[in-house]
Formats: sequence, structure tokens, C-alpha cells
Amino acid sequence: MGIIFKIAWRNIFRHKGKSFIIGVILFLGSFIMTAGNGVLSGMNKGLQENIVNRFTGDIVLIATNQRDEAVVGGWSLTPTEVISGYTNIKAILLKQPYIESFLPVCRGFSMILNEAGDMGFSGLLGVDIDDYQRMFQSNLVLVEGRMLSSTERGVLVTAGARKAIYNSMEMWLTPVDSPFILSNLSPEAMSNSNSLNIQSNMVLMGMSADGNQLDIRVPVVGIAKYKYLDSIWQGYSILDLESFRECFGYVTAQDTEIKISEEKERILKEEENLDSLFEDENIFQKVETKTSAYQIGKIKPKRVAISTNMDRDAGIYNIVFVKLKRGYKLKDALLKLNIELSNSEASAKAISWKKAAGSIGDMVSFIKVILIVFVTLLFLVAAIIITNTLSMSAIERTTEIGMMRAVGADKSFVAKMFASETAILSFFFGGLGMVIGAIVLPLISWLKIPAGTNDFLLLVFGGDYFNPILDTGDIIAGILILAFVTVLAMLYPVIVATRITPLEAIARD
Amino acid sequence: MNIIELKGVKKDYPLGNTIVHAVRGVDLCVEEGDFFSIVGPSGSGKTTLLNLIGCIDNPTDGSIKIHDQEITSMKDKDLTNLRLYKIGFIFQTFNLIPVLNVRENVEFPLLLMKKFSKAEIRKRAEKLIEEVGLKEYIDHRPAELSGGQRQRVAIARALVTNPDIVLADEPTANLDSETGANILELMKELNEIEKTTFIFSTHDPDVLKYAKDVVKIRDGMIVSREELKH
Repeated sequence: MGIIFKIAWRNIFRHKGKSFIIGVILFLGSFIMTAGNGVLSGMNKGLQENIVNRFTGDIVLIATNQRDEAVVGGWSLTPTEVISGYTNIKAILLKQPYIESFLPVCRGFSMILNEAGDMGFSGLLGVDIDDYQRMFQSNLVLVEGRMLSSTERGVLVTAGARKAIYNSMEMWLTPVDSPFILSNLSPEAMSNSNSLNIQSNMVLMGMSADGNQLDIRVPVVGIAKYKYLDSIWQGYSILDLESFRECFGYVTAQDTEIKISEEKERILKEEENLDSLFEDENIFQKVETKTSAYQIGKIKPKRVAISTNMDRDAGIYNIVFVKLKRGYKLKDALLKLNIELSNSEASAKAISWKKAAGSIGDMVSFIKVILIVFVTLLFLVAAIIITNTLSMSAIERTTEIGMMRAVGADKSFVAKMFASETAILSFFFGGLGMVIGAIVLPLISWLKIPAGTNDFLLLVFGGDYFNPILDTGDIIAGILILAFVTVLAMLYPVIVATRITPLEAIARD
Repeated sequence: MNIIELKGVKKDYPLGNTIVHAVRGVDLCVEEGDFFSIVGPSGSGKTTLLNLIGCIDNPTDGSIKIHDQEITSMKDKDLTNLRLYKIGFIFQTFNLIPVLNVRENVEFPLLLMKKFSKAEIRKRAEKLIEEVGLKEYIDHRPAELSGGQRQRVAIARALVTNPDIVLADEPTANLDSETGANILELMKELNEIEKTTFIFSTHDPDVLKYAKDVVKIRDGMIVSREELKH
């Protein structure tokens, strides 16, 4: 054992009180830091699991002219811009080696109408349900009815949306051909169960930017909920792609199937001849028109099944969810993908899931910042207290240090002695704090503390249960932070100690 | 041959609004192997003069040479090395490292030198501890020793590096007459065998019996120098 370490070690025991104070501060600091890191990691992992893997993917492609980028987590009723030329974008995505999977979807808000003139709103995702469930780990689970099929028209209403629709329109939605389940009624609907207006279909009118929207009636195929963070995502019901496009006045896959005769195609190509079509004054003739009153009740649901032969991708989408291969950095992928999209003059840009998640992503960042600021402040206070205590200790030991200097110890010896004392305390107490933190975190996970339906807790917990985890990166980061604080805390006391001269020691003596 | 040379050395201390002239232009030469005593009343400047010679304090003016090397312009690191390799200190009460035991305290300067083996360090330390009569206290810490015993440890520590110069401020002040005599005998022996130069300040007439040279100092000035013949 070197003389420096020997003196440092024994001095710790000689000055038990001060050592204990410094030790307790280091213990608390590293314990809270470890626990905080565990919570952050748990939250990150939970978010990764619950938002990225089950709802947004790592990257979200939106139209280049989309101003509000919070297209998933933002609840603004402003229509989402459309991405045109998806086939081209799909080709780009397929070429990227770092992309695991992707899913194009339509996204928007629609009005819900009924004969009584009531109006409700609902967020809608127009998707191929099979692709959606495959991409997002079967995130949708049935509450009533059956799952929507890829080849049929219909809507899967979330349980939360059904409740909201009832509250605004007093209309209780029950899936087609499904028994009415009394126990599933919301408390509000239950209180009115005797005169309940039960409906198995709904009239939707998409809120699109260009005013081409249509009123369409769609059957309610099932009532569903999201497996994770349902209270956040329940605002999105699932509509089949073709119905969504019709409802929002987008080009449907069916539209792209229309064959134009060779004669019409020839005329359309002859741009100069188009004007000549209107030269004849007799082109307009007076006709008798008859309008009938618009009645929502007369809107019939389309019975036409969706052809599996259609090229769905030829129609319009608003968003593409993209999942990256495991371990690939989001930042790098975003950069590469945006370069590719830009080079191909695609009408889409890539943004991170956090941006797309809007306030939800912001909240995650906010919680992280709060925790980081808290831990930083804690360590700053700890560093100040340790600095103060060690400086006092250095001054109290003027005689001892001065005598060492008198008999030949240089300044570096004194500096090393002080540094060793602090490092030993930091190693034992800080290390103990980290170990206890590492033991406590799995215990907390084991307790399965539920987040309940509190959205904030769901986010902080990163899922339905509080599941803090500590990974190797956190431990290394913790050690580095502890080392940094230790160095920071001992800088001034070391300066004080090394400035002590033998003469000061004699004068004091 | 002079091992120490002081020329026109002055030392002033600020004390409140006044300046204390602790040493006022001292010229002094000490030969190698001298057994040199500085005597004078309290406050006469004995300790200040020892501190200046021992590279612990800097003069306000004048020149101090040790082994023909001007120390007033030396850097801290060089002064530290000079103290470690060439000078041994024995102070009145300013003495030991509280967390080290007797042997470790004596070994301390040798450990700082980093040039001896562990066995060599131990051998040299134990020999001196035995010579100062503290063999049975070798594992005791300073808090477990009397004032005299502590002083003997400090003496052993000052001598363990075989320095060229030993500076001792009232070395026997805390010792009983028998121990004091033993210590002085040890110093004398080292002086004669190793040619170690001893400079000590003292009031003790018993110490003066061993001195070859006696310098009397008053109000920061040397008033006389006398060579004693025993």
C-alpha cells in the first residue's frame, strides 16, 4: 500500500465526522442518479416499446409541405397534407438497408353525422389492417365484434372514441352482427340504458384541405382498444383505406383502376385540340334539373368488397411509418433518408417519431430534462458541500501538511493525498449508492406499480407498469458523472492544501 | 569549506500596520561538519534564521547559499528537493504525521525519495528508532507518545536520510536530561563520523557543551561568534 493511499485511508477514519458527511452526500447523489437513470432508461425503453414499436415506428414520413409536424400526437383538426407519388417513395424505402419495415397510412379527422343533426369528431387512421397489425405487434385488441379484414369496408371504433361519440351524439355504437353487451356501456350510457340509441354504422365526413370530402356510411365492424397507452391513442379509430380515401376525397386505388379508352386518351394528349372542344356555341343546352333534399339517412354503405388485385399504393397516403433495423442510429437514418428523398424529388420528408408524436414526444423530453436538471443540481449542491468540507479540512490540517512539505513532500504529494481521500470516499460511498440503486430498481420493477389511466404516469413509467431498468451505458455514465463530481469537488481543496507552506505551519504552531 | 553562506540577509514581517525586522543584515558562514549553535533571547530571530537557512522562508533581502547554490532564486520544486535530500529538520513542537506510527513517520522522508528498497528503508528507520530509544514504541502512533518521545521520533526522522545539514530548533526542549544527552551524543557521533553539519538554536547550557561554534544573536543581528574548545 503506497504511503499516499495509507495516509489518505487513515485520515478518512481520523476525520470520521467529515468523512461521513461527504460520504452520505456522495451516497445520496449517486443513489438518486442511478435511480433517475434507471427511470429514464425504463421510460425510454417503455416508449421505444410502446410508441415506436407499437404506434409510430422510428421515423415518420410526411408531405414536404406539411407545416405542423406533430401529425400523430398533435390533435389539431387541420387536415394532414397528402403525400403524392407513394410508389416512388416506396421504391426508395425498399432500397434502404437500415429500414426493417414501413407502413403507409392515411390520417385525418372526420366529422360524424347523424339524422338528428348531432355532430361528433373522430381521429381516423386509414390502413390495411393486416399490415398494420403486423407492423405494430398486434397493438389493436378487440373489445367487441370482430377484427376488420383487409378486403372489406368498415371501421374499428376504439372504446374511447365510442364513449366520446356517445357523450356528444348520444349514439351507442355496437358492431354489426354482434350482441349488445350491457356491461360494456360507459357510465353515462348506462344511466340511459333504457332508451339507448344503438347504431351499427356511422356516417363520416372527412375534414380535408381541398373540400372534396364525401359523406360515407361505414359499418362498425368491431370495437377495439390499443394494447398500450390506449388512453393516449384511443382518439384514432381504424378505417379501411378505400373508405378513408373516399371520405376525404382522395384518389382511391379504385380510381386508378379506371381504364380510359384509346380515343379519350388521344384527345387528352392533344392539348391544342382541347380548346377547340369549346368553340362551338351550341355546346351548352338548357336542361331541366331536379334536386332532392340531402338526407343523411339515405346514405347507403358501399357493399363493394375491396379487390385484392388493386394496387393500393397507387392511391393517396398522408403518412408513412418506418421502423429501423435494431441498433441503427435514428439520427443517421434520418439524414440518409432525407438525402435520398430530396435527391429523388419525392414529395415527402422524414422526421423523428418524437416530432411526429408532438406533445407526447415533447413531454418525454420535458420529463428527461427535469430529471437531468434535478440530478445536476443535486450534484452541484453535493460538490459545493464536499468542496467546503474538504477546504475546511485542508485548513485544519495546516500543521500536518506544512510539516510534510518541510521534510520534503512536494505539492503533488499533497494534491495526491487529498485526491486519494476524496476518491476513496467517492469509490466507497458513491459506489454503494450505485449498488443500492441497482438493487432497488429491479425490486421496484418486481412490485409492478401500475400507472393506471394517468397519461403522465403512463409516459413516465413508459408503459402500464413502473419498470425502471439500468443498462451498462447508465452504469458507465453514472461512474463518469461521479468521477467528474469528485474531481470538481476536490479541485479547490487541493489548491488550498497545496498552497500551505511549511512556514504557515510553523507560524500556526 | 563553507556549506552555508549568508550575506546581508534581512527578513521583515508585516504585523498589522507595522513592519517587524526579524533579521537585520546577517552575514554568516558555516563550515561543513560544524556543530553550530545559535543562542539568544526569545524574539531575537533565532527561529527565523533557521527557517531561512532551511529553505522554509525567503529572505526580504540578501543572499543565502547552500553548497554554493543560491537558494533565494530557486523554484519551489527545487527547494523541496533540497529540503528532502540535504536538510533534516527538528522543530520544537511541529513534528509528526498523526496517522502514521513511529516507524512509518521515520520512514516517511525515505519513501518520498523513492530510491531505496522497502527492506533498506525499514532497516535504516529501525536502526535510528533503536538509537533514540523507542524500539518498544515502534508501532505506536504520535497520540500514544509523550512529548519527549515525539521529539525523539522527529530527531530520528531528521537523521534517517543522512542529510548534509540538520537544523534543530530547541531540540532538547521537551526531553529529560538523560534522553537529551543521549540524543546529543547521537548527533555528535553523526557529526564526527558522517561529517553532518548541525545547526541548532538553544537556551540549554548542556547543548552548548557539545557546540563547536556559538553565535549570539540579538534583535535580528549577530552580536558575537565564538569558537568553543571542549
